Amino acid sequence: MRLRRAGLILLLLLPGLGLILVLIGSVIVMAFGQSVGYFALTGESGFSWEHWREQLDGRLLWRSFQYSAYIATTSSILSVLLAYPIAMWLRRPFRGSLFAGALLKAPLLVPGLVAAFLFINVISFHGFFNELMVWLGIIDRPIRMQNDRNGYGVIFLQVWKNMPFALLLLTGSVQAISDDVLNAARDMGAGSIARFRKVILPLTLPAMQAALVIIFIGAAGDFSFQAVAGPTTVNSMAQLMVRLKGEFGGYHEAGVVAVLLMALALFGSVALAGLTRVAVRAGMKV
Amino acid sequence: MRASVINRILIVVLIGVCVLWLVIPFAMAILWSIVDPSQAWSYPDLFPAKVSFQRWIDVWQTTALRDALVNSYTLAPSVAITTLLLATPTAYAIGRFEFPGKTAVQVLSLLPLVVPGFVIAVFMASLLLNLGLYNRFASIMLGHCVLFLPYAIRILSVSFALVRQDLIDAARDLGASPWARFHAVYWPALKPGVLAALIIVFIQSIEEFALAFILGSPDFTTVPTILYSFLGFNFVRSNAAVVSLILVVPNVALMLVLERLLKSANPAMVSGKG
Amino acid sequence: MRIRSLSLTAAAAALCLSLPSVANAQQNFSDMSWDEIVAQAQEEGEVVWYVWYFQPAYREFVQPFTEATGIEVIIPEGTHDGNFEKMLAESGRDEGDIDVIALGGSRHALFDQSEYYHGPLSEILPGGDQLTYELEGVDTNGYGVAFWGNQTGLAYNPRLVDFEDLPQTLPELEAWMAENPQWFGFNYENGGSGPSFVQSMVRNIMPDIDTTDGEVSEERLASLAPVWDWFLDRSDQFVITASNADSLTRVNDGEFAVVAAWEDHLASLQAQGEVGDHIAFYIPEWGHNGGGNLNGIPLNAQHPAAALVFLDWLTSADTQTALNQRFGVAPMHPDADDSAALVPNEMRAYSRVWTAQPFGDEIRNQFIENVALEM
Repeated sequence: MRLRRAGLILLLLLPGLGLILVLIGSVIVMAFGQSVGYFALTGESGFSWEHWREQLDGRLLWRSFQYSAYIATTSSILSVLLAYPIAMWLRRPFRGSLFAGALLKAPLLVPGLVAAFLFINVISFHGFFNELMVWLGIIDRPIRMQNDRNGYGVIFLQVWKNMPFALLLLTGSVQAISDDVLNAARDMGAGSIARFRKVILPLTLPAMQAALVIIFIGAAGDFSFQAVAGPTTVNSMAQLMVRLKGEFGGYHEAGVVAVLLMALALFGSVALAGLTRVAVRAGMKV
Repeated sequence: MRASVINRILIVVLIGVCVLWLVIPFAMAILWSIVDPSQAWSYPDLFPAKVSFQRWIDVWQTTALRDALVNSYTLAPSVAITTLLLATPTAYAIGRFEFPGKTAVQVLSLLPLVVPGFVIAVFMASLLLNLGLYNRFASIMLGHCVLFLPYAIRILSVSFALVRQDLIDAARDLGASPWARFHAVYWPALKPGVLAALIIVFIQSIEEFALAFILGSPDFTTVPTILYSFLGFNFVRSNAAVVSLILVVPNVALMLVLERLLKSANPAMVSGKG
Repeated sequence: MRIRSLSLTAAAAALCLSLPSVANAQQNFSDMSWDEIVAQAQEEGEVVWYVWYFQPAYREFVQPFTEATGIEVIIPEGTHDGNFEKMLAESGRDEGDIDVIALGGSRHALFDQSEYYHGPLSEILPGGDQLTYELEGVDTNGYGVAFWGNQTGLAYNPRLVDFEDLPQTLPELEAWMAENPQWFGFNYENGGSGPSFVQSMVRNIMPDIDTTDGEVSEERLASLAPVWDWFLDRSDQFVITASNADSLTRVNDGEFAVVAAWEDHLASLQAQGEVGDHIAFYIPEWGHNGGGNLNGIPLNAQHPAAALVFLDWLTSADTQTALNQRFGVAPMHPDADDSAALVPNEMRAYSRVWTAQPFGDEIRNQFIENVALEM
């Protein structure tokens, strides 16, 4: 009976989880394998560190790695920082709060490529922003803002697109805190900042971590925002990978980038979640 | 009283911000999409010198937009239905059974969300090349199904958990047939989740760029890949404006439907918890 | 980077060796009369043309062919890399999706056309002896036929700079850039107009480097150092753009006075009303690369006869004249009229051949490593 039940559950898991494991598993194996010389489409297949050595020697890869790490960290932290006060504001329903929530979540409906395109239109040399500033007489000649070197455009887009997502997670979590808990804290003499630090932050930590991790991973693997609005002097990891693959099927080289990108996504997000936890704990004690 | 005044001020500020970051960008896109081809909009003109809907006609008649729309709108429903079918058994197991390793199963089912999309795209392409598989539609469909399974599994397992065991038992005691039991007990609890899963997967598939771009290259286009070609190598701002608007409008409509569905369903699903 | 480029060359060589295993006996068009080919083409009824640029414009442009012959021309979307990869990947199949494929001249150095294409076209096409089969220093031996000549140079906005003030020599360019900082833009990826400018600078700053030699070696790469210093010394005077199209859009916006561009690309964007007609084009006296695209018919094409009839039409003097009028390109038929180009004929004297591969690609890689990453 137990065995039959276990068999049934395994069978049920097969089409969903099974398929995920098989496909994502083989994709990961492919990336690792090709980075060390296996699965060659042309030429000889066999173990070799050659692709790793040649990629690690060039500065291109490291620049991309640092750049993607920088974009991912800044975007995820900024999105969450911005989402917190708004989630607190929308915690208790009031007249117009539904409308406000809907407006704030609107960017979720806009696909990333469209968002990037709209943004470029606004900040381009001939775009709305420059025209307005010139018209108002604040500047004489339009300012060049497109593809700025520090990737502020990309970060802005990431926050634009991801803040609503962080807001979604945080609102749910903040609303779940019962008034009793907050009232009790107030009765014990905690001011609003102390209540936020000692009650709300710890109780919403899991939602905050989830938001940070998902935004971090998404931004680390970004291609579209970077391709449209990013600096032209550096590639993001995904962009570099696609470029290496595009130029005559350099799958081995792309494999190296893919492995590093997965490592960045994994360790970066774990580190970020861990640090947040430490920071929140420290905030409780002070 | 004071709180409501503050709220009102904040809402006005919010509307101001939204005008800045939603209305103006879309207004610009509409303007660019109606620039008449006979007269370019160039420096230092503040507004297009001549406007018409010629761009819309040109884009419709000469670009591969029609193919892309056909591809996207055949792909997305196929992906949505297949994903739903694939997710249901797993969701049923998670929602209705207790078993050792259940947490692990739930975490592992999120795997497609944590591997960057372009890694999946590039190495799935390489996998298919190694296996000698050519069918682009089938490859993208398979990829999309796996990519969006986590959403469907998550939503449906919550729905399955909401089905009340006492009602199932009662129906069985009353001698209801399996179909009648499903119709009377399961379906009412599952319906919002099923529809929500279908819509979410549908929208994600329409929007998805990485897999469609890499696996569809060079000749299988979807709406996002055609938009990318207008944004990148063949940057044609007016065409991009037309395609952007075409990509956004059905999305908004579907999301409005979704919003209504989710309101009638469990709030835990909306907040992504559970 | 150097080693990677070498391994790419090796991969290219390997691909060339792994010949398409075409099992079916291929039709031999050399033995057929042109009338027989036309008859077969009518039966085939359609031709699928993989051309990697201007697809929307081409879909309009080929209408007269369909009206005259009843043969439908299907033009799928696709990129240069993507189409090329597809052609190689499909070559093992009995039937491919591609009937005609357009590739840039230098791309043909990467594979042996006689192993992949029907031909030689020079012997099958009725006026085949008048056509061009060699571009950008690569000879296809009659298997790839040129249909599109293009030229890189500089696009400029006459509202911001007069033609008389435009730089024509290296010292003039240096002086102009110093006087007008940030008014000049070019790309290094997503298109060849910027890389062509970089190659021109290599030629002008280091006249001793033989650009017809494609060899890549440590010494040759090291000898490029003065070129990179030249760029780095002026890194606050020029702007790197995202693509060919980005450069042209921004010169139209008034952001730049001068950008690196393709003549045909500018003409096409002007025809579409994307860039104003006032934007002009010139080839500076220091020389910019020119080249073009050739068409071939893969051995596993499903409509090879229709493909031949289509190529006959596309390369005819009349069609070439029409291409010149529509896109401003250099015609590839000796009898065609080339009066509609964006530049006067005497300026064509400053056209140069692209640097031989793989050295040409390596110049771009070195530019990224030594200039772009340093900025």
